[in-house]
Amino acid sequence: LLRRLNCIIIAAFFAFAPRLSVATTSAGEQFAQANKLYEAKEFDKAIQAYQSVLSQGVESSSLYYNLGNAYFKKGDLGYAILYYLKAKRLDPSDDDIAHNLAFAKQFSRVQMEGVELNPISSFLVSLVDPYRLETLAWISSGCFILLFLFLIARFGLGIRTAGVRLAAVVTLVLLVVSVGLTTFKYRHDYLTRRAVIIAEEAPVLTGPTEQSDVELQGAPGLIVEILAETPEYYNVLFENKRRGWIKRDLVAEV
Amino acid sequence: MSTRNVTSGLIILAALFMITPANAKAADDVTVEVSLDRDTIGLDEHAMLQVVVSGTMQNLPDPIMPSLPMFEVYSQGRSSNISIVNGQVSASLTFNYMLLPQKAGTYPIDQIAVVYNNKRFKGNSVELTVLSSGAAVSPDLEEQAADESGKSKDYFMEAVADKKNPYVNEQVTLTMKFYTAVQYYGSPELTEPTTTGFWTEVLGNNAPYTQMINNRRYKVIERKYALFPTQTGELTIGRGTIRFTVARRDRRSRDPFNIFGDFFGQGMEVTVSSLPVQINVKPLPTQGRPADFTGTIGKFGISATPDKREVEVNQPVSVTFKITGSGNIKSVAEPVLGELDDFRIYQASSSENMSKLNDQLGGSKIFEEVFIPKRPGTLEIPAISFSYFDPTVGKYTTASTRAIKLNVIKPEGYAGQPDLPYSAPDLTIGSQARDIRYIKDDIGSLAPVGRLLLLTPIYLAVNGLPVLVLAGLVLIRLRREKLAGDIGYARSHRAAKIAKKRLAKAKSLATVNQAGSFYAEIYTALTSYIADKLNISPHGLTSERITELLKAKSAEGTVIRNVVDLIQKCDFARFAPASITQEDITESLAKAEQTIVQIEGTKFA
Repeated sequence: LLRRLNCIIIAAFFAFAPRLSVATTSAGEQFAQANKLYEAKEFDKAIQAYQSVLSQGVESSSLYYNLGNAYFKKGDLGYAILYYLKAKRLDPSDDDIAHNLAFAKQFSRVQMEGVELNPISSFLVSLVDPYRLETLAWISSGCFILLFLFLIARFGLGIRTAGVRLAAVVTLVLLVVSVGLTTFKYRHDYLTRRAVIIAEEAPVLTGPTEQSDVELQGAPGLIVEILAETPEYYNVLFENKRRGWIKRDLVAEV
Repeated sequence: MSTRNVTSGLIILAALFMITPANAKAADDVTVEVSLDRDTIGLDEHAMLQVVVSGTMQNLPDPIMPSLPMFEVYSQGRSSNISIVNGQVSASLTFNYMLLPQKAGTYPIDQIAVVYNNKRFKGNSVELTVLSSGAAVSPDLEEQAADESGKSKDYFMEAVADKKNPYVNEQVTLTMKFYTAVQYYGSPELTEPTTTGFWTEVLGNNAPYTQMINNRRYKVIERKYALFPTQTGELTIGRGTIRFTVARRDRRSRDPFNIFGDFFGQGMEVTVSSLPVQINVKPLPTQGRPADFTGTIGKFGISATPDKREVEVNQPVSVTFKITGSGNIKSVAEPVLGELDDFRIYQASSSENMSKLNDQLGGSKIFEEVFIPKRPGTLEIPAISFSYFDPTVGKYTTASTRAIKLNVIKPEGYAGQPDLPYSAPDLTIGSQARDIRYIKDDIGSLAPVGRLLLLTPIYLAVNGLPVLVLAGLVLIRLRREKLAGDIGYARSHRAAKIAKKRLAKAKSLATVNQAGSFYAEIYTALTSYIADKLNISPHGLTSERITELLKAKSAEGTVIRNVVDLIQKCDFARFAPASITQEDITESLAKAEQTIVQIEGTKFA
């Protein structure tokens, strides 16, 4: 049985590996080409080149980061922030991405006055923010495997010492915490839909109709959370908890 | 100024002092300045005496005039003046007296004083010379008043410099005098003398007076200038010119009946000029010139006053340096402070106050410097010297302040500067970035867009593996434990294995020649298999007993029959081996195997 399982794992690994490596070579060349265009300050062409790498169905934090830089230099703040956010989601610990995101945000014509977040939620955000979802998932997985090693020792091999028991309990606690954080991270980064305003004129309305009043005027680069949607509008929540409805084509989803 | 105005001024002053009672400390500073418009007059002339009382308090006292028996004294009124400079209130009262002489002679006027707060403040003394009538006129002036033919002029102008040979930057007082013995119309128009090479300050006009020259009464208008030569050598003060209108001189209009002739006669515009004045400016002596001399000429004093004497480290102390005296106050330079180890020094402000007392330009210049002590302890701001050239004695003089001792106290939490061989940084660079950071060269690890690790086979496999391992191990362990603890289970579990072994052995004996051994083996295999399965002893098992036992375990009828058949066959073969054929052996072997498989498939209750 074990041997069969190993076979499946190895087969699965090899099934992925060649496909990735083929993609990497051509994408890497196109990426380098795009970087040259960026160096030559041909930002429009550089954006096209980066986008063509993305169109192969692959992504990386560097790719999104460079794309963000190209849009920033071109003067398109909304898309710059959009791609920095995408880059940050893939690599939250990268200092360059965090710096450029913060730097770009300060150029938005409209700045949102801050509102105190729920302290527990902001604590959790600060806890999971520097880690990628994958990292947290692997930490959970490690705790899970470790727990099972101790369970195997106890129930499979019959090592019934107090040490094994204690280690199992500790690992169980760690597992619960890490799975909880992973779930929170997943909800916060993947289930919560975010969007960035990209249009120069972005009125945020009180309702999802043409006749609604203007609640506030948005500006490119403002980050919103999508709460609900209609075929034409998104119901959005700003960082300072202001809400409103905005036309779908004025924003881009992260 | 009327009494009411003075009163209201006093009320304002009183209000100011109520707001700033601290200023009352400075109230001791009362000065009395006495001046005369002229120091020489004729017996038939008069002199104006001015007494200025100034100070920083609300109720300036009136001066006490001494008895002046040689003069008739007439008060000419008083005026008051209030000014607020940098929050400092200063007030002055001016009293004017007209002195009419009784007798020729030279009379000192002193003992003019005021009493304030039981203190007596004495004014300076002046001297007035009264000449007997006409004697006040110098022969030189009489000469000027006469024209070529010896007749006296109707009008003329004179320029007098009090010094012909001054030092550079020493005050020369120039007096332009306009004498006229006839009536003029309107106001005369003056063109000021050119004073190239001088720094000029107009001292002002004196009140007109009359003077007898060559038995003719002239009205004299004086205008005075303070001139400060800015260069050495021969300098010329240009002509001053006055243009004015007089009545036309017409002998016929001297008709006693034509009394209106002078009024309605046509006016005549005339111009008089003074003669140029030559001044020879001496350079300052190089001998004995102090190092800190910056070109100030006159007579000065310097004082330094701190605003507090006790201060915390790094807190400012404001020190006011006041230079007061006579001379060109505008040219007074800031005293040189130099670098002090214990203080950081900043210049805060400077202001000057010019006075024109007795036609002598002077005043005070105030420099406010801020000293910030660097360390605690008793620190000293050293005496600051100020050098000037005194032209009256022709020598350089140095005035200096007193050193100021400051008690610098240690504030809470003060930590002294560590002694390090490094100076403060030249440049401080803030953390604020100017641009975004540059693009990345390496594309990094590529992944399919939107891939979630949680759903990848690798992740599922890695996490599923330990679960499966545990489950397997637990099963194995449970079985082992059962085998070890239950003999019946263990025998039953091993039964088939042992039976198979025996049957294999029997198979190797499956020939007609070895029929006895073959059937013995088959018999053992079958009986010990059933015994193991039922957990009973294999010895003494008969076919009847086996049938009974199997029936009790509710085995199928065919199985029981097969077993019984096989046992009978074995018994038969043991006793009559010769009748056994090869077919019998093959059939029995197959039947034995089949039976064991059948029993193995049976679940015994």
